[in-house]
Amino acid sequence: MSEIKTITLTIDGQQTTVPAGSSIMDAAKSLDIEIPHFCFHKRLSVAGNCRMCLVQVEGGPPKPTASCCFPAGDGMVVHTQSDMVKDARKGVMEFLLINHPLDCPICDQAGECDLQDISVSYGSDQSHFAEQKRAVEDKDIGPKIKTVMTRCIHCTRCIRFATEVAGVEEMGATFRGENMSVGTYVESALQSELAGNMIDLCPVGALTSKPYAFTGRNWELIKTPSVDIMDAVGSNIEVHSRAGKVMRIIPRENDEVNEEWISDTARFSYDGLYENRITSPLLKNKGKFRAIGWKKAVETLLPKLDNKKTIAGLVGDLHAVEDLFAFNAFMKTTLGSDHVDARMNGFALDGSYRPSYLFNTTIEGVDSADAVVIIGSNPRLEAPIINARIRKNVVNRQMPVYMVGAEVDLTYKYKHLGDKPENIAELYDGKSAISKELAKFEKPLIILGADTLGRSDGLGIYKEAEKLADKIGALSSNWTGLNVLHNKASAVAALDLGVYPEDKGMDLGKTLKALEKGTVDTLILYGDSTHVDAEKLKGAKFTVYIGSHRDAYAEVADLVLPVTPYTEKDAWWVNTEGRLQEAKASVAPLMNAKEDWKVFRHLSGELGKPLPFNSLEELRAHVLKKCPNYKYNNCIAPAEKWVSIAGADKLLKKSFVETVTNFYKSNEILKASKVMTECAESSLNKNKAMRKAG
Amino acid sequence: MATPKLSIEDKIFKNLDGSDDWSIKGYQKRGGYDGLKKLLTTNPDVHIAQLKESALRGRGGAGFPTGLKWSFMPKPDGKKPNYLVCNADEGEPGTCKDRDILRYDPHTLVEGMIVGCHCLGAETGYIYVRGEYYDESSRLSQAIDEAYEAGLLGKNILGTGVNVDIHLHLGAGAYICGEETALLESLEGKKGQPRVKPPFPAGFGLYGCPTTINNVETIAQVPPILKKGNDWWCQFGRENNHGTKIFSVSGAVNLPGNFEAPMSITLKELINDYAGGVIGGWENLQAIIPGGSSTPMLSAEDCETAIMDFDGLREFGTGLGTAAVIVMNKDTDLLRVMTRISAFYKHESCGQCTPCREGVGWVFRLMERLSRGEGTLEELDQLYDVTKKIEGKTICAFADGAMWPVQGTLKHFRHLFEEKIKENMKKSA
Ligand SMILES: Cc1cc2nc3c(=O)[nH]c(=O)nc-3n(C[C@H](O)[C@H](O)[C@H](O)COP(=O)(O)O)c2cc1C
Ligand code: SF4
Ligand code: SF4
Ligand code: FES
Repeated sequence: MSEIKTITLTIDGQQTTVPAGSSIMDAAKSLDIEIPHFCFHKRLSVAGNCRMCLVQVEGGPPKPTASCCFPAGDGMVVHTQSDMVKDARKGVMEFLLINHPLDCPICDQAGECDLQDISVSYGSDQSHFAEQKRAVEDKDIGPKIKTVMTRCIHCTRCIRFATEVAGVEEMGATFRGENMSVGTYVESALQSELAGNMIDLCPVGALTSKPYAFTGRNWELIKTPSVDIMDAVGSNIEVHSRAGKVMRIIPRENDEVNEEWISDTARFSYDGLYENRITSPLLKNKGKFRAIGWKKAVETLLPKLDNKKTIAGLVGDLHAVEDLFAFNAFMKTTLGSDHVDARMNGFALDGSYRPSYLFNTTIEGVDSADAVVIIGSNPRLEAPIINARIRKNVVNRQMPVYMVGAEVDLTYKYKHLGDKPENIAELYDGKSAISKELAKFEKPLIILGADTLGRSDGLGIYKEAEKLADKIGALSSNWTGLNVLHNKASAVAALDLGVYPEDKGMDLGKTLKALEKGTVDTLILYGDSTHVDAEKLKGAKFTVYIGSHRDAYAEVADLVLPVTPYTEKDAWWVNTEGRLQEAKASVAPLMNAKEDWKVFRHLSGELGKPLPFNSLEELRAHVLKKCPNYKYNNCIAPAEKWVSIAGADKLLKKSFVETVTNFYKSNEILKASKVMTECAESSLNKNKAMRKAG
Repeated sequence: MATPKLSIEDKIFKNLDGSDDWSIKGYQKRGGYDGLKKLLTTNPDVHIAQLKESALRGRGGAGFPTGLKWSFMPKPDGKKPNYLVCNADEGEPGTCKDRDILRYDPHTLVEGMIVGCHCLGAETGYIYVRGEYYDESSRLSQAIDEAYEAGLLGKNILGTGVNVDIHLHLGAGAYICGEETALLESLEGKKGQPRVKPPFPAGFGLYGCPTTINNVETIAQVPPILKKGNDWWCQFGRENNHGTKIFSVSGAVNLPGNFEAPMSITLKELINDYAGGVIGGWENLQAIIPGGSSTPMLSAEDCETAIMDFDGLREFGTGLGTAAVIVMNKDTDLLRVMTRISAFYKHESCGQCTPCREGVGWVFRLMERLSRGEGTLEELDQLYDVTKKIEGKTICAFADGAMWPVQGTLKHFRHLFEEKIKENMKKSA
């Protein structure tokens, strides 16, 4: 490797040394010198079109230079505050504003608008423009984004995001010169799971959030750091609330996880927090639910939890670490029942060996992989953020991708190598051309879909993948390239904490059989899951549903207890990498809903076998004892030595199928959200229209 | 001391007037393709060294030394191909020289492409022809076919081992696609917008490969220079401005047309001896745009002494550009002409840079209003200010080229605006 050369230059009289290839703007940043800019964005290609970042370079031609795209040179002398620069900035500001409507009072971007901020610092206090302003027609680009294209300053960030990051070449500029107009070429909803990020990228109010439109001013919002739970990525988010209500959600930057993107389900589903919620305990009487008080609800429930009864608990997809722990302890120690399972997809493995079910390479590790092999997963829908990361590497450094599974559109090219478990063997048999090709990589990264490991031959598929990993060198001393991609927020924590039968209890499959036979006395449904149809959950003598949303599972219950969704509690979450992250409560529990762990703690006391914690801190201490890896808050626990999982399984001749079939409706919050319903419909319509158009 | 006219032997474009046969037969009769084999068996470095010495400067507008530009191309590394791209987009108002080359003497370009590709280590050349030149491109296409048939294109040309393929691409009618990097974008199938530089095309050009872009005339002039030598070439013109050049003379002259003449000819000679003089006589001259619409105009007084080469016109604050000489006599409504030119630029800006996108239309509207006398004297200063806020702030030279003619008008003919404005004020008073 050639050593990295450095460059030393002087900016505003200060010297700095930067790596070769840095731009003048990068170099200025190293000195904390702020250069105003609109089109430049560190995660997008350089466009150099806004011309706001002009600086003066001594010795060059007598005109200013765009600092975002001009390379820093050794010995260069740069000025960012000279008269030439100030005049240039004023000029550019004036040009940006002559055709801008200046309608800040009715613009949702106001208060967080780059154009406002920069013009205050660098603009002029008057305009010389006496001609007619241009007006641009707004475009309907779907239910997520509202457009006011007269405000567009043509920085092309949205276009670059759509083409480069999201991988949908649907945004572009049509026409030339002052008629240049930005939008989808044909007026239609943008088909991307990441489209909402363009709202954050748009420096002005041309693209704003449609669901948030005119509902709040950013300076009135309380901002709470949180973690997204619409998939198992653990994207960092900020929840904005006003008067105890969630008003919007935006990303927080975390290079190791979501960079600064979030999926549209994370961003736009918050109306689902207020639709279809259970606001007080409900008791079913003659097939109809009636609201009751908590006291009555607990009185009704206690006799059904008598430890002579057969009590089974099934655990849904969206639970926090503490709540899972409390429920598991409640089932196993208070009720003395081992019939508990959180693996609603039928996941073949248990929690005994952590690397067997984690995304070991880490999300950031995708950036150093030299090939990706996907088995039975559609990362575009199961983890759009990770898919974007893969795409980035495919685009920037032509990383090859291989797929055994349903042939879906991932927004990048891949080699499709079959869709059945038996095709995996061809990848490592040492004879086929493809196995020779794969063996050449140094850091191959294998992604196994978690739901695929939930098939009845899940263990067999896992063992095949492990063999593949071993044969192609994905399991070396410095590279763990075998990964499970989960798509449910509680999946990893439930495995970590042993939320499944640890002794002789019934797992999901046995519980379903028992329900069919009618041998379950009391069924506790803790939360909703898209994996198991509610129809199959009928059959217990008494069913209690503990959850936040009145969904299909609630309907099969006799008693319903309201608990909290993720925005209403301080909680830990563990993502598919096994990374623990903390979310803060943004708002208080809605009406009569209670924090989940408190409900279990309370019931345990009433039953005379109190769980040993009275506060969140005490609860967390117990969690840490059970799962010492959780001391690595916000980061990844050190890698463990690779151990092979025992067991074998016959492979079925059945094709891998897509498991997330309705992206916008893949949990109870999403199902409740009207915005998500619109998104689901518009993507359906678009697919139909495209098929028609052929 | 009059500059002697070129003899037919010394002309590079012997059929520029279209009076003879354009086809390969005619071209070969005029000496075309003679000595090609020798050029293709000579080391490219020798050619490039000779071109550097010849002081051939690009005929596409910027006048960049061609030999120097060619020396920037890396030797092919076997991984990425080198490309030669010919810019036949000819969109600069007033310019029509490439058109006559394409339709009357297309083999001069084909031979130039063969030799150019050899010099640059390219096996593929592209010719990007202005969309409106449909008929001309058909002619060129026929010429290319003829060359293939004669074994002058394709594999192992004349047994020299040199391989050259030429592809022809028709543009879609955008002036900006004449800017070399916008041309590359367009050729790649994208929206024709100039790229930010660096990286320069010699490092990262067409499809990310090393690429050289030259004007039609530049490329066509290379083989004769290499064949006849620098002594011959350098007898024409002055130091650093050598050779012959096609001048497109249009406007208020008696015999408009394309003329190949020695460089550094005086403007007055060009108008009088080639273009039949100004309509209404030299005294009737108002102003001349010397190098296409992007170059600032010369006042009638300047025209007395201006010398038509790159350095000569720089002395007058203007440039040779594409050598498209647009003559305006006193019967011309100069402000209307210049407003029309502003309208052209407003229509042709690609729109990506802020100052150009927003400013060029503003300038046009000011020109339109002020040329009718609607406005104030202060607004004339403001017009100048706006042009200064645009000039030098953009990705490509389009915006500069759009502002210079306005600045030139204000420099020489501000009084015309003032008269109109005062007249108007009187009327409304
Ligand atoms: C707005 C604009 C339009 C241009 N149009 C043309 C053109 O039509 N033909 C051309 O040869 N060069 C044109 N150029 C110049 C090219 O960018 C480039 O400099 C030229 O093709 C190089 O060839 P040369 O070195 O042979 O002159 C244009 C430049 C600009 C900025
Ligand atoms: S819509 Fe916004 S992001 Fe897109 S080009 Fe316009 S200003 Fe830039
Ligand atoms: S100067 Fe004008 S034509 Fe050139 S890139 Fe900028 S906007 Fe486009
Ligand atoms: S930030 Fe450099 S040109 Fe826009």
